Amino acid sequence: MPIRKLDELIEVVKSQGKKKRLIAAWANDSHTIGAIYNAMDNNLVDAVLVGDEGAIRKTCEENGFDVSRVTIVTAPSDVKAAEKAVAMINAGEGEILMKGLVSTDKYMRAILDKEKGLMPSPNAVLSHVTVIETPRYPKLIVCGDVAVIPLPDLKQKTAILNYLVATAKALGIDRPKVAVLAASEQVLPKMEACVDAAILSKMGERGQIKGGAIIDGPLALDVAIDKESVEIKGITGEVAGDADCILFPNIESGNVFYKTNTKLAGAELGALVFGAKVPCILSSRGDSTKTKLYSIALGALMAK
Amino acid sequence: MEAIRTLEGLVDHVRTLKGAKRLAVAFGQDPNTIGAVSRAVKEGFVQAFLIGHEEKIVETCRQEGVDPKLFTLVHGENEVAAVKEAVRMAREDEADIVMKGLVDTSKFLGAVMDKERGLLPPGEVMTYVCAIQIPQYPKLLFVSDTAVIPVPDLRQKKAMVRYAVAMAHRFGIPLPKVALLGAAEKVSPHFPSTLDDAQISKMYQRGQLQGAIVDGPLDLFCACDKKGLAIKGVKTPVEGEADVLIFPSLEASNTFYKGLMLFGGGELAGLIQGTTKPVVVMSRSESSESKFYCLSLARLMAEETLS
Repeated sequence: MPIRKLDELIEVVKSQGKKKRLIAAWANDSHTIGAIYNAMDNNLVDAVLVGDEGAIRKTCEENGFDVSRVTIVTAPSDVKAAEKAVAMINAGEGEILMKGLVSTDKYMRAILDKEKGLMPSPNAVLSHVTVIETPRYPKLIVCGDVAVIPLPDLKQKTAILNYLVATAKALGIDRPKVAVLAASEQVLPKMEACVDAAILSKMGERGQIKGGAIIDGPLALDVAIDKESVEIKGITGEVAGDADCILFPNIESGNVFYKTNTKLAGAELGALVFGAKVPCILSSRGDSTKTKLYSIALGALMAK
Repeated sequence: MEAIRTLEGLVDHVRTLKGAKRLAVAFGQDPNTIGAVSRAVKEGFVQAFLIGHEEKIVETCRQEGVDPKLFTLVHGENEVAAVKEAVRMAREDEADIVMKGLVDTSKFLGAVMDKERGLLPPGEVMTYVCAIQIPQYPKLLFVSDTAVIPVPDLRQKKAMVRYAVAMAHRFGIPLPKVALLGAAEKVSPHFPSTLDDAQISKMYQRGQLQGAIVDGPLDLFCACDKKGLAIKGVKTPVEGEADVLIFPSLEASNTFYKGLMLFGGGELAGLIQGTTKPVVVMSRSESSESKFYCLSLARLMAEETLS
């Protein structure tokens, strides 16, 4: 049975057996440590906190966290902490990476470092996948890229598509339905989003995208997720009105989509960065407690 | 109507059409042209205006044993003047079909394409469509573009599909299956034509273009061979029974049709499309049978439709 709610995701990860180890980079602050303790309370992961040991102990003490439940690894600075966390992942000491109080660009730089980073190959594409639970849609929406790649080209879109499909499959959807989004469902050669969507959907038809997904595009958002619009517009195909995954043509559309859902429609989400050797969590302080928990759960689900 | 499946069937069908169409032949004074046209005149398909030197035309007719009275002779001082006159006749509705005689092809097509005085409306694309008959295939294959566009871009390829489909409709195939051909069925940025193919097939899938079932890229096996298709396991609505083949380049299509003529026992009827009226361009090396088929095809395409 596919997972249809993010709380179900927590239950599935709990029942997975051996817990995955999460390594958090520069995890000195209460936001990061709080999220990790919440995840540990839910039996999702074991954790290593890389950072300033004094600060970590102080934060735990102030918040009433039992410091013996985590492993602390000392690092003198945010950059060093990110490097150390990445090195530990490379040494097989953890299966999930998480960002602490280090800035996103320093965190990403440690992941992307050609020699000591986490990229499996020089051509690998690092991209962000978001899983959204929104009240008026009957299932989860797996979408990207809302945060990392500004304007993906065809090759990057193919990589994003693969990550979306892999995530949807891990959520129990055997043949994920992927909508490649554009402003219209017609192929308008002047709009690159339409052109790439047509190309990707044909690649899907030809079996060039692995994972057995059903890919259709271009589809506008209404015909991707709303059956009534599909009927009115007379769109055919298995994806229209019933998408599991949405591939956005650019970061602006993706970003507006997820923020509209969370800020105006009461949606919840979990998110991960894909393309590195392990799932990487890119939570920000602005994320809700639930989002952080769901992101860690998603990381535990996707970790090998 | 029942679908026309052979070139003989095309001729039979044209025999049922009422009235001869007016054919203007530019510099039609060589034995090849006169031979082909005289047969179409005798069949009642066309009423021919041969534009050129009257004495030369009459002399050629005598040598070929053709009665010059079959034709209306129109004076054309030289090949350029003859071409201009033929195109003018078509523009001013004095002719329904234009045909190239003993004129250099590029000069002839130049006049046909002339923006102000030619036959190509703005936005249209001049292409060549062939209906090819081969013993190994159960029906005619409409092939484009075997003669004009070297490497079609998206806009040109869309037009090629549209014209070939319009021709197939005239042959009584209401929803022809169109294969956009490539070397393989996979979509790859390394082969830009495959990207265009993906877009065009999606346009037909979405219904923004209609009148045909279009898929591509497909290789020739997927397009025309059910066995090959089954072995490859490719799913395509063309189902290995294409009516129309759209090629990615002139080299590929030209070699394909010449290979069929030379080694495959093929016969063809071909026509310029995109123009306001059918334009016949035949190569001297074509068989007299193919030349007659070309004129039969032109007669069919000159038929007014209800639309």
